[in-house]
Amino acid sequence: MSFRSSITIIASPRPRVGKTLLARLLADFHRHEGRAVATFDLNAGDKTLEHFLPEQTTTASIRDINGQIALFDRLVADENTTKVVDLGHESFESFFAVTHQIGFVEEALSRSIGVAILFTMTPDKTSVEAYRSLRARFSHATLAPVHNEMLGPAQHRDKYPLASGSPVVRIPVLAPGLRRYIETPPFSFADAQLAETAGIPVSAHVEIQRWLRRIYLEFRELDLRILLADLRSSIRFGS
Amino acid sequence: MAKPAVILVGADKGGVGKTTVARTLIDYFGAHQTPTRAFDTESPRGTLKRFHPDLTEVVNVTAVADQMKIFDTLGSADAKVTVIDVRAGLLSSTLQALTDIGFLESAKKGQITFAVFHILGPSIASLEEIAETARVMGDANYFLVKNFINNTTFFDWDPATYNSYFKRIKGAEEITIPKLNEMAYEQVEVASVPFVSFVGNKGVKNEAANYSFVLRGYVRHWLGNVWGEYDRVKLVDLVAPKMESNVRQAAG
Repeated sequence: MSFRSSITIIASPRPRVGKTLLARLLADFHRHEGRAVATFDLNAGDKTLEHFLPEQTTTASIRDINGQIALFDRLVADENTTKVVDLGHESFESFFAVTHQIGFVEEALSRSIGVAILFTMTPDKTSVEAYRSLRARFSHATLAPVHNEMLGPAQHRDKYPLASGSPVVRIPVLAPGLRRYIETPPFSFADAQLAETAGIPVSAHVEIQRWLRRIYLEFRELDLRILLADLRSSIRFGS
Repeated sequence: MAKPAVILVGADKGGVGKTTVARTLIDYFGAHQTPTRAFDTESPRGTLKRFHPDLTEVVNVTAVADQMKIFDTLGSADAKVTVIDVRAGLLSSTLQALTDIGFLESAKKGQITFAVFHILGPSIASLEEIAETARVMGDANYFLVKNFINNTTFFDWDPATYNSYFKRIKGAEEITIPKLNEMAYEQVEVASVPFVSFVGNKGVKNEAANYSFVLRGYVRHWLGNVWGEYDRVKLVDLVAPKMESNVRQAAG
């Protein structure tokens, strides 16, 4: 058995650590690989993701049961789409509480959908404890810590225990002068044509592409790890 | 010959969720491979029968003919456990009837395992009921069930008063049924299937159904907690003592 599709949840209990950028990068990576992508925005009142991925993005809320049904039933739905969830910091606790209670990861696995959680590492105690709690609660999901080098060079590896053979996903620094190009919609990492119409200088475009290739390499490795986790579990449980 | 067990589920008030508790019991014994039958006393149209039509018979527990149907068959029925969902207000009179026919006497002698699930209502009136029931019950297995399934603000009576009633029954145990999300509960009602079938995404005839995964998740979580309570009071040991289950394992 191998996964038909995957759900990646981008999470951190801290605001402004680059979750939405990571969601965009990941969604565009999957589009670049030729997969259908759906993104779910759980940031309250923030439409950033929708501005960059208007066709892919669904605004979601899990505050009431109807919102939960709309989100989770869609996530595990039997469709050949890779899904990315951009989890706002204010929804972090309630999202994982519901996820755990309804047995979301197990349900997804039973439908051959792999679940990964990308967790941006920051040195604060809240994040460290949140990470440990996710590790304890979601042993069937691939939990991958993310080192966003734009937040600083320190990885805080000592604070974040890793599963064996699961390296950190690294988001390298992008030169400050180039940030404004990728942070002004419309912009898509998957659409080189758009760069031209948006009037991005060729030198900047080349630099962004170089940066992007390093990130895509990290994502490919992550994909392999999700597959490997699946293989491991099928060996363990005997198929 | 295995000792038959009778579980009475009752309350003096309607709308406190007796049938819901009876349904979780039937699911619980089903999960423990303990053959179970049920009697629904909401004649002529029983709610319990709607959810468990194959196991349930609708009876009038105060009529002699129906009492015979229930109690004279205890030894001969395939089912080891008999769950009786007693209609609102009939708990005391049912217990009185059981005393009259000598049933409680056999329970005392240990020929029959007998347990009462007394579902508590939100008012003090149902506490008076405890006192009344205590008089006839003696030392049967008595469970006081606080049912929070549909309510958030439920038990607002004084704990001291409650405890004074609670202590009148020797060896009484408390069971708490936690709250279940309203929409999840409603959807199970609409589907008219046992909780276990809802969780397993199965319809009335065991066909594949299409319930919301979120609602199934909530029901599974809730049912797990309810069963956790039944495990805590060792309900399976009560109706099917260890010795026998070992024998069954050896035979099987």
